[in-house]
Amino acid sequence: MAIGSAGAPGAPAPAAPAAPSTSSRPSPHPVDGRRQGLRRRRRRPNTLPYALIAPAVAALVVMLGYPLLRLGILSLQKFGLRQQFGQPPDWVGLDNYHRILTDSYFWDVLWRTVTFAMVNVALTIGLGLLVALLMRTVGRGMRLLVGIGLMLAWAMPALTATVVWQWLFDTQYGLVNWAFTKVGIGDYQGHSWLSEPISFFMVATIIVVWMGIPFVAFTLFAAMSQIPKEIEEAACIDGAGPWQRFRDVTLSMIKPVLLILTALSVLWDFRVFTQIYVLQRAGGINRETNLLGVYAYRISIGENRFDVGAAIAVVMVLITLLLTLVYLRQMVRQEEM
Amino acid sequence: MKLRHLAAIGLAGTLGLAACGSSSKDSGSAGTTAAPSPETNAPATSAAAGTTIRLWLNGEDTKQELVDYAIAEFKKLHPEADVQFERQQWTGIVEKLTTALSSSDSPDVVELGNTQAQAFEAAGALADLSAQKAELGGDDLLQSLVEAGTYDGKFFGVPYYAGARIVVYRTDLFEKAGLTVPTTLDEFIAAGVKLKQDNAATPNFSGIYFPGKYWYAALPFIWQEGGDIAVQDGGAWKGTLSSAASVKGLGMVKKIMDEASGAPKDGDESKDYVAFCNGEVGMLMGPGWKLGQILNEKDGCPAMADKVGAFALPGAAAGTTAPAFLGGSNLAISAKSEHQELALDLLKIMAGKGYQTQFAQAGTIPALKSLLGQVSGDEAAKAQAVAALNSRFVPSSENWAGVEASTVLPDMLVSIAQGGDVQAAATQADQAITSQLNG
Repeated sequence: MAIGSAGAPGAPAPAAPAAPSTSSRPSPHPVDGRRQGLRRRRRRPNTLPYALIAPAVAALVVMLGYPLLRLGILSLQKFGLRQQFGQPPDWVGLDNYHRILTDSYFWDVLWRTVTFAMVNVALTIGLGLLVALLMRTVGRGMRLLVGIGLMLAWAMPALTATVVWQWLFDTQYGLVNWAFTKVGIGDYQGHSWLSEPISFFMVATIIVVWMGIPFVAFTLFAAMSQIPKEIEEAACIDGAGPWQRFRDVTLSMIKPVLLILTALSVLWDFRVFTQIYVLQRAGGINRETNLLGVYAYRISIGENRFDVGAAIAVVMVLITLLLTLVYLRQMVRQEEM
Repeated sequence: MKLRHLAAIGLAGTLGLAACGSSSKDSGSAGTTAAPSPETNAPATSAAAGTTIRLWLNGEDTKQELVDYAIAEFKKLHPEADVQFERQQWTGIVEKLTTALSSSDSPDVVELGNTQAQAFEAAGALADLSAQKAELGGDDLLQSLVEAGTYDGKFFGVPYYAGARIVVYRTDLFEKAGLTVPTTLDEFIAAGVKLKQDNAATPNFSGIYFPGKYWYAALPFIWQEGGDIAVQDGGAWKGTLSSAASVKGLGMVKKIMDEASGAPKDGDESKDYVAFCNGEVGMLMGPGWKLGQILNEKDGCPAMADKVGAFALPGAAAGTTAPAFLGGSNLAISAKSEHQELALDLLKIMAGKGYQTQFAQAGTIPALKSLLGQVSGDEAAKAQAVAALNSRFVPSSENWAGVEASTVLPDMLVSIAQGGDVQAAATQADQAITSQLNG
């Protein structure tokens, strides 16, 4: 999976350019030593970086690669509860894939997941950008307050946050229903926020976006603080309005960061599980609110059809790979320009 | 140059520390296990000091005092061993057991609901207890639970206890509304509707507390009308929720949900005692121990003790009861347990007369037929004994656990509660059930 040329961040630097740069630097060593050093460096390629990252790569390959391999193998077998407890599985080839790809319910769940992910990514990035801009504009004290608030939201575990939000939206004892009724928006007594799929996903979106904004906000704020003030002032002097300044100066300078954040958000929001699963326990019709992550879990661990669940998971991996590839290529092209 | 040296030393040091850490852990655990025993799969014998077996019990069915009693009895037999008791939740227990029983760190004794036991027995997750059946109770064991614990002629799950669902009601609200304990099913529904109308001032009030996902409570109505979840024709299962009889029963359920219930249309019954203690419930359907839970000192409302009563769900004619859902559990030993002998001893205690008598005296239906006469206790226990005489069960198929896990029945009921067409919802559920049960 070739990511790109030397423009991509994190790509290992080829050995050749290293040698000329070191030889052009003036050295305090005696002439003989320098010549020897030059010769040594020119002959031997620089293997130390590879040696240093080898343990980490090995760990990653084992911890991520082995489950992926196992997943692939599972998706090509007939694997149920009996096989889980010892019976040898049969090979069925692409039968499981055929089964899910011809199941209309799978496509429903897939489109639901894609839509949900897109909406969440748009909201997370958009609102995160606004919060970052806010943090740039306000004074130090306010910025600290906002920062602490974001940190607390970020630090809360997904399960805890979902349970608390679910209590807020509880049908009979929830704070939102009580507040809406008190304020006079309408009679929300006993209103169920999770029974209709649209309303269900709205609550889920609130939770996911609420948890995703801090990371985006902090990262974009850091990126924006790297923009030299002189450029902004120059744009101002040249007569650019605030929107033009934002679009042409700020946005274009933080574009690489923005693209990476979008790619990460797509990855995370596509695989969202905890929030949906916990909300489903609290209400709604499971069949209408399943997303791919939860669906794969219900099929494999719930119904003990590990083979079909594995096939769904592999499809998920391929889709996320595709989505992130698109963004990575965009980002690389951006850097080269 | 210096930086490279530092990096190399740091790397070597980290790897060295990691290696040291893991090796000391291994030597530690090897030290506590004794010499290999004659058993094929157990590295530790019962004579090893500090052996702990793990007991998993689900929900609130078993009180802590009973567990303490069992552990004390166990320690009399094996002073040097210990029992680690972990209480699990019923929700999601199938998934939890699937992972736990197949891992190398499996609990030793587990409790399985009778609707879930078949799946695990078929999969080979449990130890075969056929040889020990006589010691565990033999013919004295409750027949229906023995069936749940048997697969392919082999005995895996010892009956633990049984329970039938009853109705818990507010005696004072009944008096105020001028109602008496209903003797027919229609009277029951009418009483629920009247209670809701009379108490309309109380927010969220339910004449009959019936949350959308409560499929256990919907079954008696389906069965009373002559319908069923699924029937086995030859070797194949067929979902029968969309039959005329079942749909008639579902219609009664819909009437309750629309006119008598104020419970969340998509909620489940796990927090019904909260609503009851809040004064929002006239009647609720629950297992025998529900009354105890409502009057519990810790999270119930003991002050309501003189305002609650219980009765068995009545049938079509006066003097009969509707078919009650027979709940119950079996205890089993994990096939991967490393302490099969110890686990078996604990099982004998828990299925034995001493333990089961205490169960009976607490109002639960014990696993031993000889102790059925000992079921005493409060109104709920008596109601339960009556209800249990006419009890039914879910389709006994090894794939039933999968049907439960895919929440087909709760989904169907919630869509009916929200105004969906009963026939359409039932047909969709039937399709899912048929394909699931047939594998």
